Amino acid sequence: MKDRCSVVSALLERYHDQEVTEEERRLIEDHLSQCPSCRDLLSTTAQIGTLIKLPIQEASERADFDRAWTKIRREIEKREPLPWWESFGDRLKASLFSWKRAWIPAMAAALIVVGLIVGPVLLEDQSPLKISSVEYVESADYNVMIYEGEKGNVTIIWLFDRSDEEVPAS
Amino acid sequence: MKRKNLILIGLSLLCLSLPSFALAQVQARVRIIEASNVSSGNDPALRDVRDQLGSLFNFSGYRLLKDVNLNLAGNRPAVVQVHPGRTMEVTLVGEYRKMAELKIKLMRESATILSTQVRLSSGRTILIGGPRHGAGVLIFVLSARF
Repeated sequence: MKDRCSVVSALLERYHDQEVTEEERRLIEDHLSQCPSCRDLLSTTAQIGTLIKLPIQEASERADFDRAWTKIRREIEKREPLPWWESFGDRLKASLFSWKRAWIPAMAAALIVVGLIVGPVLLEDQSPLKISSVEYVESADYNVMIYEGEKGNVTIIWLFDRSDEEVPAS
Repeated sequence: MKRKNLILIGLSLLCLSLPSFALAQVQARVRIIEASNVSSGNDPALRDVRDQLGSLFNFSGYRLLKDVNLNLAGNRPAVVQVHPGRTMEVTLVGEYRKMAELKIKLMRESATILSTQVRLSSGRTILIGGPRHGAGVLIFVLSARF
């Protein structure tokens, strides 16, 4: 029973606000018919609710919304209209902001397309001559000479035996 | 800016930086020539390079020792037997602005006597010469097509 009480008491506030499911409502009402302490708890919840609601209700009945709205409208009408360029700027900003989600991916897609078209063109024929060239040469056994033809049509790597070196005159 | 937009912009920048193509395979031709002043006259097989050789060197005769075609693919060395104990190893290591990057090694026994890396446009020739051979020297004529 105590377990049932704890379950029901947790649901009582929602029951009072009519926010429980049909199943929960049946469970609570079955239990309330047998449990006086939970009935007391429900009536306390109802009293607290009434205490909170009453002042709000009274205040809203006293408030004159029509008059307040008339005052607000009068204030709005008192303001001078913005110059056309400012109102145009405001509208432009608003429209750009609303299109932001669309134009960023669109710009990115456009960049990709431009990259695919322009990339190969930029990378093509950037060297002045389509020639052969030597990046590096290493030889422990030979002296090396590299000759590149003026027109860039021939490259020679020539190896000299170390024994071919001239011996300085003594 | 959202992550998706950043990725898209990054991809487009990557497209700009990528090379327009990548070489899958290069056909290389290696001709090994003995140049000397002992013999005279030119090997008929060297008709197409006779003028070039004549304008570059002062040898009286050129004789073709070997003519080898190689199919070069990325980073797989192709070996040419020059003569017993001496080999040439050619490896396609990459491409740069429509030029093939070739790594060339001349080996004597297991020792590397020359190691070089060259960039070669399609149809261009590079000559490597100098090692003694008999009464003359060896000249390696390497060209590539892709």
